[in-house]
Amino acid sequence: MSDLPALLVVFPIFASIVVLLAGLARSRTGWPIAALASVVQVGMALVLGSRGFGDEPVRYVVGGFTAPYGIELVVDGLSATMVVLVAVVSLGVLGYARTAGPRSNPFYATYLLLVAGLTGMSVTGDVFNMYVFLEITGLAAYALVASGKGGRSALAALKYLLVGTFGASLFLLGIGYAYVATGTLNMNDLSAQLAAVGYTSPLVRVAFGLLVVGLFVKIAVFPLHTWQPAAYAGAPDTVSGLISALVSTVSAYALIRIVFSVFTVDFLAANPFARNVLMAGAAVSIVVGSLLAVSQSEIKRLLAYSSVSQFGLIIGAVAVANGTALTGAAIHLVGHAIMKGGLFLTAGLVASTTGARTVDEFEGLGEYLPVGAGSFCVLALAMVGVPPTIGFVGKWYIALGAVEAQAWPLAVVILSSTLLTLAYFARLIERMYFREPVATSSSVETAESKVAIDVATDGTGTPPSMGMWATVVAAAVLAVVLGAAAFEYGQLLEPTIEHLLT
Amino acid sequence: MSDDTAESESPTRYVESPIIMATVRVVAPFVFTFGLFVMFHGADSSGGGFQGGVIVGTVVLMLGMAFGIQTTREWVGPKLPVVLVGAGVLAFLLIGIGPVLLGGAFLEYHAYGVHHASKYGIELVELAIGLIVSGIVTGLFFVIAAGMRNSGGETA
Repeated sequence: MSDLPALLVVFPIFASIVVLLAGLARSRTGWPIAALASVVQVGMALVLGSRGFGDEPVRYVVGGFTAPYGIELVVDGLSATMVVLVAVVSLGVLGYARTAGPRSNPFYATYLLLVAGLTGMSVTGDVFNMYVFLEITGLAAYALVASGKGGRSALAALKYLLVGTFGASLFLLGIGYAYVATGTLNMNDLSAQLAAVGYTSPLVRVAFGLLVVGLFVKIAVFPLHTWQPAAYAGAPDTVSGLISALVSTVSAYALIRIVFSVFTVDFLAANPFARNVLMAGAAVSIVVGSLLAVSQSEIKRLLAYSSVSQFGLIIGAVAVANGTALTGAAIHLVGHAIMKGGLFLTAGLVASTTGARTVDEFEGLGEYLPVGAGSFCVLALAMVGVPPTIGFVGKWYIALGAVEAQAWPLAVVILSSTLLTLAYFARLIERMYFREPVATSSSVETAESKVAIDVATDGTGTPPSMGMWATVVAAAVLAVVLGAAAFEYGQLLEPTIEHLLT
Repeated sequence: MSDDTAESESPTRYVESPIIMATVRVVAPFVFTFGLFVMFHGADSSGGGFQGGVIVGTVVLMLGMAFGIQTTREWVGPKLPVVLVGAGVLAFLLIGIGPVLLGGAFLEYHAYGVHHASKYGIELVELAIGLIVSGIVTGLFFVIAAGMRNSGGETA
């Protein structure tokens, strides 16, 4: 099965069409097909992923052309991680979506298309191909955000569409400049050709700027994040979980790929300004994202702004550009995907059980929804970076990398980001565990209010299913368990990181 | 809004015009053929599935203009656009997977062992793209023509 890299992208597209056509014969056949396809996808991703961790990346040229002319697919440790992450998270979210999510077949067709786009972005070794998959991912994500019932999700999707397309256009323009400078689109070839053109050539600098700013829009780094809170908060809970976990993550992966595989560290060394802009973007994103998160009253918006801040850390690691920081970035990408996806799904679970969607409504949650509150608490603490969890390991590596590179201002911001994260999650944790439930609204005794809540649960239409509980608890458990495995993973990633940095 | 009433009436208003109907009857087959012509010229000259697909899709638009959108919608049916899109993508995937089954790489047309394999391969892919695009143009036309009345419904 040497064709696995291509099949990994083709298979979800195929499954998506099967879902679409099956919907013509019988509606609501989407979920079983999508679930089956996701299981197969996880299997293929694991097989390919295990190969990607060798000393040399797996290379595959589509159509039997030779490398710089044909479209090349490259799987190294980092892309293998992304492929497995995409497959596993999308399978997990499907478990949640069975009862919670939109159930129409077009929804699942789009869902699988998003998986295809994300997988394609992860495995491709060609910048133009990456743009195509970036657009597939974007379009599928806009449609998924719009799959909510109200006008709010439609408006959020429109905003996302406009801003996202702007970002993708900048990215395309950047590819154009790089192509004018070198005449090639293959990443491997580009890195050699760009070096030959010279890193201080205006053409190369402009290409870098456009590519990076385009991806900043997609990642939602601070001044370009405006689509993101509306999209995450306006989308159905299932979609917020999926998109927050994967779309920005894979875009951040694309940034690492562009900066280190295409432009290489030497470019950053030759252009201190580029590195300073990355650092400034990181620092501003971390601080302002956290401050905005603190000021939110709606849970999903708070989580969204938290993502702005967390991706600042990743950008910081890219700016630092040494092995330790990049290992941290890879770990934090995985960790953030699991933690943030889990948090969004937990918030959705809490909302469908109790109707609580704002920070104030979380008061006393620990008493009447212990499992939900517990998972939320574990995931939140992991996001803060409490030691045994994966959130700690990622931040630790990034901070260590910043210290090694003697980027002191950035190191200070990264360390203080922990405090800032604590600032907005402590508010929630305190409300969940140290306050009385909001029984005052119905002004009856607590025993009766419990009954009232139970009745409300039965009345709201979507009582949480086993799948929803299982997904949420699994995310919380993973956030802790992966923390133990993360150091070993860091060692596995060493050959890949070395490859990136040379 | 002052022109609110005019707007709510306009989507249903259809004026039967013998001139337009006759013109469309004559022109439609030519437009359809021209669409196919453009599609078939994707491999070695300007043209291709996207442009050709749009031209083929406009045939349905013209029929809608001439015979009334509601009538055309019932004639085309709700499933045809989805089937076109699905069939197009499936055709592309099959063309891509075929060489893998024959022992080549994904999309390696030469594995088919036909003379000028890559030319015919690209041509088939263009036709598949044409199917997809015409399906989408038709579907979009009906969705937009339906207006905002069924908000929240599915768009297939």
